[in-house]
Amino acid sequence: MLEINNLHATVAGKPILNGLSLTVPAGEVHAIMGPNGAGKSTLSYVLGGRPGYEVTGGTVTFIGEDLLAQEPHERAAAGLFLGFQYPVEIPGVSSMQFIRESLNAQRRARGQADLSGAEFIRLARAEAAELGMDVDMLKRPVNVGFSGGEKKRAEMVQMGIMRPRFAVLDETDSGLDIDALRVVGAEINRIMRGPDRAALLITHYQRLLDYVQPDRVHVLAAGRIVRSGGPELALELEREGYAEVA
Amino acid sequence: MTDDVTFKNREAHEAAEKLATYEWGFTSDIESERAPKGLNEDTVRYISAKKGEPEWLLEWRLKAYRAWLTMEEVDWAKLDIPAIDYQDAYYYAEPKQKPTIASLDELDPEIRRTYEKLGIPIEEQKVLAGVEGARKVAVDAVFDSVSVATTFREELNKAGVIFRSISEAVKEFPDLVRKYLGSVVPQRDNYFACLNSAVFSDGTFVYIPEGVRCPMELSTYFRINAENTGQFERTLIVADKGSYVSYLEGCTAPMRDENQLHAAVVEIFAHEDAEVKYSTVQNWYPGNAEGVGGIYNFVTKRAMCSGARSKVSWTQVETGSAITWKYPSCILKGDGSVGEFYSVAVTNNRQQADTGTKMVHIGANTRSTIVSKGISAGRSDNTYRGLVKVLPGAENVRNFTQCDSLLLGDQCGAHTVPYIEVKNPTATIEHEATTSKISEDQLFYAMSRGLDQEAAVALIVNGFAREVLKQLPMEFAVEAQKLLGISLEGSVG
Amino acid sequence: MTALALPTRKDEAYRYADLDALGRVWADLAQAREIVVPAGEAHSHVLLAANEAVEVHRARLVIQPGASLDLFALNGAAEYGRIEMDVEVREGARFTLNAANIAGGKATQEIVTHVRHTEPNGTSNQTVRSVLGGTATGSYLGKVAVARQAQKVDGEQSVKAMLLDRGATANCKPELEIYADDVKCAHGATVGELDPTQLFYAMSRGLPPAEAKALLLEGFVLQLWDDAPEDRRDELVEASRALLRRVAA
Repeated sequence: MLEINNLHATVAGKPILNGLSLTVPAGEVHAIMGPNGAGKSTLSYVLGGRPGYEVTGGTVTFIGEDLLAQEPHERAAAGLFLGFQYPVEIPGVSSMQFIRESLNAQRRARGQADLSGAEFIRLARAEAAELGMDVDMLKRPVNVGFSGGEKKRAEMVQMGIMRPRFAVLDETDSGLDIDALRVVGAEINRIMRGPDRAALLITHYQRLLDYVQPDRVHVLAAGRIVRSGGPELALELEREGYAEVA
Repeated sequence: MTDDVTFKNREAHEAAEKLATYEWGFTSDIESERAPKGLNEDTVRYISAKKGEPEWLLEWRLKAYRAWLTMEEVDWAKLDIPAIDYQDAYYYAEPKQKPTIASLDELDPEIRRTYEKLGIPIEEQKVLAGVEGARKVAVDAVFDSVSVATTFREELNKAGVIFRSISEAVKEFPDLVRKYLGSVVPQRDNYFACLNSAVFSDGTFVYIPEGVRCPMELSTYFRINAENTGQFERTLIVADKGSYVSYLEGCTAPMRDENQLHAAVVEIFAHEDAEVKYSTVQNWYPGNAEGVGGIYNFVTKRAMCSGARSKVSWTQVETGSAITWKYPSCILKGDGSVGEFYSVAVTNNRQQADTGTKMVHIGANTRSTIVSKGISAGRSDNTYRGLVKVLPGAENVRNFTQCDSLLLGDQCGAHTVPYIEVKNPTATIEHEATTSKISEDQLFYAMSRGLDQEAAVALIVNGFAREVLKQLPMEFAVEAQKLLGISLEGSVG
Repeated sequence: MTALALPTRKDEAYRYADLDALGRVWADLAQAREIVVPAGEAHSHVLLAANEAVEVHRARLVIQPGASLDLFALNGAAEYGRIEMDVEVREGARFTLNAANIAGGKATQEIVTHVRHTEPNGTSNQTVRSVLGGTATGSYLGKVAVARQAQKVDGEQSVKAMLLDRGATANCKPELEIYADDVKCAHGATVGELDPTQLFYAMSRGLPPAEAKALLLEGFVLQLWDDAPEDRRDELVEASRALLRRVAA
């Protein structure tokens, strides 16, 4: 579903990704682990198309299309979801309005009809309930006044409503207590597990992987994948540290 | 509670005044060394001739004088300025022989106490008080050298730094002076700057050559105490490419002058990658508790950050003068140039201060920071007035302004007048301002730990002003901290 | 009829005004509207100034002890819009202003306030948002004055301007004149463009750039009307949307 081939990228002229290659087939969940500064967040932003993250070489193919040629919103319409490490606050815009307008924009791009107000509210309420979140939270401005954990859960609600084909989840486990971690883990499994879906979990720690069992684990260091393996690699990293393994 | 203030600083000033008026007794034979009273073209010619100036400078002065005649005094500041009779004043006097006393024991005990509170070393006290033969001793004591002037000059010469009075510089380096004089503050900039251009008495000229880091902090301290630079001081600092200089102006000791009107001009010209740090402690006589007397301090200070990545930083601690009108500013013309303004202004009794800065962003990626702390006490008025302007061609400008006022007592005023004018969408401008009174909780807390009220106020006020004080060179900062406390004594309670 | 001479740029309250446009309506300008909110009452007013090419609205407001006034003002005149008010806030009274300049083309819009706290325990809150496109100019000149006897006053100003195009100008002058010591007065002002991080976040959720921009601008402005009187809120929202569409286009 996602094929990254020899990807090079710079931020403010500084090389961060240095020939990263990675393939995530449909139906699989992969984890990328690595020390701080390895380029984990850069990878997620490059995949999302964030301005300022410049691709200087390599290709990324997403469901047969050239991902890098697409604008951020086109990537979303194509089925890519980026879970932000630091979800952005947008004062004055309610989450409800934000998600609904975004979802309908995606649907229109795919040639589908808009969801009506009633349909959307039903969907939002159901998805919020899965996270144990009061739907009233979604009436508040996007991420404003949310705690770190609430922001991450709100990201999962968005993901549940949008049902992407592929999710890149950047440090989704950071800022979560153990109960929230279990809930978020269950949500990732519920929303992203399926024969025509896939996900890439970007994380520093192994603990999210207790709840979302990855099919493959990759170690990122200095902008490239230096090791890949099964779920046992995550445990080994936890035990031995990055210096030993990578 | 403000009527019965014991304003030690004021008392010291008054004591100093008494000394000057009676015991030091300026006599009438000084008259012969003065220009005739009043201001006209002849006065300007007289000044220029007395200083032996070249023709071009006389012409420059005359041009300024003629322009000044057509201009009006500024009226937009939040200041109540009594009418000034410009014809009822002397515009030139030969540097006066300072009256001397035999030893510090003869000094008024009040002044002595103030000096001690400020922590001014004994030898410097002698210089300030005009003790006979003190200068050389002070110099020796402070710098452990037989002749500081010589040592200074040698070291600066070796580095290629020019540090002269403006009068000397006009003779020794006429081309340099001519090139930059008036290049940052044009003659017609404002009424007071124009007056200064016509009749400036003396001042300082500094030139730092390309790539030179000035080997010492340059200070007007010694010269100001050595000779009377007069009421129309003119300072010109030129920092060539990649150079650095830190310049200190003023003195924390109470300064007095029989000239009520002071209209100084300071121009700084910074070339590519040059950095100038300009620190001021201003403690001119503020007048008595009823607002009688005191200096009118109308100063025009401006820096031209002409070269790419040049940087000028203004830091000021303003505690003196009856009226202060002063806006040290930066024209940020070079791409990536940086302007900073850090200010503490204290007003007490009947003092009035209208001070702030202008940051004019012309170049791309220019940045400015403004931190202003105003402290009002007694029946004073303290105004921050500032302008942040971003021109259409200035891309990616950043400005941050923090502007806080502290009120001590309910008979004073604290005002904030910031102008923000932005003509480029890529600018990021942030401005914050707060007004508060001194916290009774903080006062009580500090006092419950054993500080008396004055010490507690000084502590809190210094905390309030900390961001600015920490910009000062170390030895200056210590004195400035003490000065804040002294300036506010008796204002709470 | 106004007997006064046309102001000039030297008049502080008119330093950013479009004096040509003002000159055309000056002679016919109505006297400032007088509004007195009686003691203890709570009033709301809506001023929607977006119908004529030139709109100049002036008001003198007195909020009597214990009363409150919520004012919602949308400045959207296509050529010159000026909303000017002198507000006296008496003991324990409260004044809230929520106002927007939405200007495009060559328009000049300004909101000029003088809020005078003459007695203790008053509160004033002014929130002004400007969205400026084309070569438009949007200004806020706001002065909060606290008299000597007006202790325990709380005066806030929040001013934010967003510049959409090269050539647009934002001016603001949030002024404080404080003569009482036990007060809480603060202001914050920012000028900038749309936050690129917010823009990317919205786009990463599927919104095309123009829609993402429109949504963020609405968020920037429409929260001003959250507490507007129910019967006028929709009108304010719709008028703001229409103006934003025009300005952001």
